[in-house]
Amino acid sequence: MGWFIIKRLGWMLLTLWVVYSVSFVLMRSVPGSPLSAERKVSPEIEQNLKRRYRLDQPLGVQYWDDLRRIVLHGDLGASLKIQDFSVNEIIAQGFPVSASLGILALAFALTLGLSAGIISAVRRGSLADFSMMTIATIGIALPNFVIAGIVIILFVFLWPLFPPGGWGRISNIILPAFCLGAPYAAYIARLTRTGMLDVLSQDYIRTAFAKGLSERTVILRHALRGALLPVVSFLGPAIAGVLTGSLVVEKIFGIPGLGVHFVNAALQLDYPLAMGLVLLYTTLLYVMNLLVDLSYAILDPRVKLH
Amino acid sequence: MLRSAFPYLALLILLGAVAWSLSFGTLPPADFTFCNGTEIQSVDPAIVTGQPEGRIIQAIFEGLVNWDPRTLEPSPGVADNFRRVTVRDERGNETTKWEFEGLSDDQLTYTFHIRENAKWSDGTPVTAHDFVYSFRRFLDPMTPNRYVFQLTSYVHNADRYYSPSMLQPGDPVEIELYPERDLIGIRGKVLRGYTFVERVLQGEAPDPEDEDAPPRQYLYILEKDGNQHRFLAGGEPGSVPSDVTVCRQVLLDFSEVGIKAPDDHTFVVTLKNPTPYFLTLMGFYPLFPVNERCIETYGSPAWTRPENIVSNGAFILKERRLRDRIRLVKNPHYWDRDNVRLNTVDALAVESYVTMLNLYESGVADWISTVPATSVKTLLAEKRQDFQPSPMMTVYFYRINVTKPALNNKLVRQAISLAINRQEILDTVTGAGEVAAYSIVPPGIPGYTPATTAPYNPERARQLLAEAGYPGGEGMPTLEILFNTSEDHAAIAEMIQQQLRKTLNLDVRLRNEEWNSYQISQQQLQYDISRSGWIGDYLDPNTFLDMFVTDGPNNQTGWKNAEYTRLIEEAAAGLSDIQRDTLSIAVGVAGPVSIPTRMDLLHQAEVILMDELPVIPLYFYVSKNMVRPYVHGFYNNLQDVHPLRAIWVDEEAKRKFWEEHGR
Repeated sequence: MGWFIIKRLGWMLLTLWVVYSVSFVLMRSVPGSPLSAERKVSPEIEQNLKRRYRLDQPLGVQYWDDLRRIVLHGDLGASLKIQDFSVNEIIAQGFPVSASLGILALAFALTLGLSAGIISAVRRGSLADFSMMTIATIGIALPNFVIAGIVIILFVFLWPLFPPGGWGRISNIILPAFCLGAPYAAYIARLTRTGMLDVLSQDYIRTAFAKGLSERTVILRHALRGALLPVVSFLGPAIAGVLTGSLVVEKIFGIPGLGVHFVNAALQLDYPLAMGLVLLYTTLLYVMNLLVDLSYAILDPRVKLH
Repeated sequence: MLRSAFPYLALLILLGAVAWSLSFGTLPPADFTFCNGTEIQSVDPAIVTGQPEGRIIQAIFEGLVNWDPRTLEPSPGVADNFRRVTVRDERGNETTKWEFEGLSDDQLTYTFHIRENAKWSDGTPVTAHDFVYSFRRFLDPMTPNRYVFQLTSYVHNADRYYSPSMLQPGDPVEIELYPERDLIGIRGKVLRGYTFVERVLQGEAPDPEDEDAPPRQYLYILEKDGNQHRFLAGGEPGSVPSDVTVCRQVLLDFSEVGIKAPDDHTFVVTLKNPTPYFLTLMGFYPLFPVNERCIETYGSPAWTRPENIVSNGAFILKERRLRDRIRLVKNPHYWDRDNVRLNTVDALAVESYVTMLNLYESGVADWISTVPATSVKTLLAEKRQDFQPSPMMTVYFYRINVTKPALNNKLVRQAISLAINRQEILDTVTGAGEVAAYSIVPPGIPGYTPATTAPYNPERARQLLAEAGYPGGEGMPTLEILFNTSEDHAAIAEMIQQQLRKTLNLDVRLRNEEWNSYQISQQQLQYDISRSGWIGDYLDPNTFLDMFVTDGPNNQTGWKNAEYTRLIEEAAAGLSDIQRDTLSIAVGVAGPVSIPTRMDLLHQAEVILMDELPVIPLYFYVSKNMVRPYVHGFYNNLQDVHPLRAIWVDEEAKRKFWEEHGR
């Protein structure tokens, strides 16, 4: 297993380098300059601005300088737009926020999704199954901002339980975590149900029942483990996505996570910030997929890592 | 073993993570909370542009003058040589206003007396030398400064300091070496006593189109005590011959610039030309002073951190949470601290206008600077006392590319302007009480009457188009309206498309581009008609009119008019109004009638602009603040600036208000 991890980490470094190079080329080929603004400045001022932000250097020099700085010092550079902070600092401030929100959203999605999925599968064809799967389908279909709009009207204005936005208190995190988690809950419910139905028809489950085990034991001990596999493989990328922030939920609830940074950096051509976030996302995605593979090996005895 | 423990382990990790994500530090609530729009770029006054930045910088720094929160009139700031005078207007009403006492008779020299009790937030006094430091830093080409023209256009030799290309043989220069510490934004050692001989571009002249060309380097040949010395600006040490010294830059000696501090409390600025709005400019945030010791110790951007920053305004930067909030607390060393009534202020960074309104309606924010366009009608219909849109110095207009066929004809441009029904746009699209614009300069600037173009007149429009040789729109090329992607811009462009089709039978297409490409298209004249907006920087028509001088960087229409340019330049460079008055008295004629005042010249220029119409004004914006009734010291004004030092909250009224409104 150790060798497996080392090999995968090696691939990760290679992937990061490719991602860095491709992003570098793509970002620089977008028309426009991060320094452009509605008020056009004289060519002389523009030249000085470029020099200050080292954008007057040849692209090749910028490519190697940036790469060297990232590799040797782990320094992602200075943001061109949020000038009082380095990219490392922006990530250090934004990531915990996105992560808190993401973790809560996932916890919520897992609790709700798993229970709904299991119940639906076990009580297949019942009213509970039907209604839960309908809600799940709606949950997948409804975009975040619609759910957000509904919960804001309900729980901020009609029944003032929560503030409409902001960050810093527990009351700030509940509504956005719900909105962010809802579609994931719906996915997880459907995946669990399908996986569960699949497993429940297997021979070993029949054997377990035949041994006289209670339904509860069979489902939680034997069936669930197998049914979780599709959920686990879904969770890897989902965690990476949820941890790096969600544009829509962050914007609606005014949450200082990474999602809005990501989009703004891309739109405003803030090269260093966009690059930093792309690399962060790549790393997270890679690590999460690695963890998924590892947990596969633990959950399913047939899986061998090599 | 691991296999059976795994579910419990996973559960434990999940629970731990949830506990971590629910743990928050506590921040006591602020006295006053407002939504400040997007996250600010920086709190460094010299390098930013934009309103959210301005609100914070105005709170934590203070310039030579302050703008009166009601009238925007320059009033005492760090400089205190003002006196209160009573003036009587034509109708005989008496008003009092501030009069600056430090202006020389030729209106070229401003002598500011720095008040004795002005203090930095570390308790040290603010002196005239701090202003010399700050203004020099503002003019330093290495400071990424977009507003540098605020000094280079007006102050004696300031442009020559900023632009080494303007050095003349014999000029005294200062040579800045690279700083010893590896920090950005600090100054290196400065060598003086050299005079300029020659400046030579190193290597081949780079092709401006080639992005991969290395940056330009210049070799300076300088003279000291009869010997020539060679300095390479921007080079790498070690890569040069031994008789060449590598330095960061060579600039005109700063002592040549009209910015001086004869003593700790006297700061003198000498201008090139009389500039009536110069005093107003001194209250605009880019020219606020920064602390030398703080910047030279920490460098950029570390000096702006709450734990490092030293500032001189009514408030101190206490905490910065990115895209969340900026916490300000009252500065105990501020000279006018007795009149600052807020102790803590939260500026929330909120991008979405809908979220802003939600925060306001639920009582989190006491002031929001704007509301979503879709809510304007409802709010107006409800006749909300806390929503009073008010005129602003901002114009929404269309640029016309006068280098294109048909559009190069003045009559066609006039016809297009006449065919646009502005009121219909305002009634259906914008709807917050915006004002239809027939001039580029918004009304309300003291002493100035805008020159206007004719209002909506479809008959006349058709007639002019026919005169231009396109009767009934026949032979007119297809026109394209360019705008940056936004629902509002699209709605306005669609309406104008219909109006032009209906009235003039023109074939108009729409093209929306994302912000960056839109700007490039506009700058490179890759458009027929292009949406634009402009916010006045200072209370003077010049801030709008000098955009359209021939080849000005913000002209972007291809329009060239020598007479217009001459009028703008004459208004900027001409005799002062006082000199005109004296002159006209001397020759025995009534002053303004025979010799045009500055405002007359600007008006004449706008008459040309509104006749030629390389730009078609559409409407003037209104500010859309919402402020709770218990907030005092908040006034609507033309520039939509609301200094926090004047604002206070009636706590008793606030408590009552929220009791009544159920929170």
